[in-house]
Amino acid sequence: MIKKIEDWNYYELLNVERTASREEIWEAYQAALSTYHPGSLAAYSLVTEEERRLIVERIQEAYQTLRDPEKKKAYDLALLKRSFYYSPKAPFRKSVGKVEIEEASQKRGFRDKVRRLFRRKKPGGEAP
Amino acid sequence: MGTRIWAVGGGKGGTGKSFVSSSLGLHLASLERDVLLIDADLGGPNLHTLLGMKNGHPDLGDFLTNKISVLEEAAVETPFPGLRIIRGSENILFIANLNHYRKLRLLRQIRQIKAQDIILDLGTGSSFNTLDFFLSADPGVVVATPEPTAIENSYLFLKSCIMRVLKLYMDHYKIPDLHQKMLDQIEKNSQSLYGFFRSLVDADRAYGTILYRALRNFRPCLILNKVRDERDVHLGRAMADVARKYLLIDLHFLGAIPYDGRVHESLRSLRPFFVSHKDSAAAKSVREAAEELAYSVEFSHRTPSEIRFPEGR
Repeated sequence: MIKKIEDWNYYELLNVERTASREEIWEAYQAALSTYHPGSLAAYSLVTEEERRLIVERIQEAYQTLRDPEKKKAYDLALLKRSFYYSPKAPFRKSVGKVEIEEASQKRGFRDKVRRLFRRKKPGGEAP
Repeated sequence: MGTRIWAVGGGKGGTGKSFVSSSLGLHLASLERDVLLIDADLGGPNLHTLLGMKNGHPDLGDFLTNKISVLEEAAVETPFPGLRIIRGSENILFIANLNHYRKLRLLRQIRQIKAQDIILDLGTGSSFNTLDFFLSADPGVVVATPEPTAIENSYLFLKSCIMRVLKLYMDHYKIPDLHQKMLDQIEKNSQSLYGFFRSLVDADRAYGTILYRALRNFRPCLILNKVRDERDVHLGRAMADVARKYLLIDLHFLGAIPYDGRVHESLRSLRPFFVSHKDSAAAKSVREAAEELAYSVEFSHRTPSEIRFPEGR
């Protein structure tokens, strides 16, 4: 529901869609940096200095991850795996991937069940 | 036929609330809609001057002091077709501090007016009256300028709105315990609103649900006025982003209106800028802001289909 700054995922931090291209991510990164740079008007009076520094750190981290296709892929996978634990009504993730994520985690659960079934069957099958 | 009630507000004075409301009114009237402007700046009414009109009776004060029983009778025609106005009262002392009963009566009567668009031009500051007018309207438009003072006051105004929404919500569902907590926090004033939300949710997860539910329907819009360069347009989007993360509200950025020195001249010659400089960039961005709102998916979803805007300009 209300997330700590540490819990905002990289897409929420940069305010981009999960399907964003590299250029879009670069633009979002620049925009996010200017939103939270020291002396930024947008954050004026609302974001404390401490919070602001934390966010900028996280934004750097987000960009370093998302710019690299390999890392991005790994990160997306990790998000998908964790997504099961998010509340479905979380305000920050309404636009993107809600359906997609929930479907994905369900699929995984289903596949696991099937796999588990087969794993159980296999030793049984070999025995006779 | 549904009525759309706009409220144009924002914490700081001089950001152009009256300019935006009169321009919006003129724009909507030019689309052949039936528009009523209400000068709800109880402490300092001047909307009529922007339209080149003199003050006089009937006005809002006549309604509030019971000289007129129906609010709509206080509406007078402006020189512009399709646009009516309820002027604010000169008799400020009696009106500026509305009591609760009068305020409710006014709000109720506003809803009964037969017009397609009603635009409330609110006053400066975050008094309960102003907040309640702002919250009763949909859309509520916050006008800010790209200066730290205006932005600080806009956030303050939004925070006060949020507090008011939460208070109404808690009163309605009888959660006094949470309300007391909120008041304590405000008195201490030690935390940001975000910090307050966080500590609430840490204390009890159910509060998070309450907060989220209460704020889900509060979707103010933002217009940046007197913008001088490209950076300021980015500022609008950045503010919306920050408000979403820190105030947990969907702040919808409608657009930026460029600074135009000729506004001052039009004001002095008592001719509405929107009419005398129809093709200026500032007038164009007012039209674009209205369209941005009209065509936004979220807004048209929560608006009955019959009061959507006509296609095109």
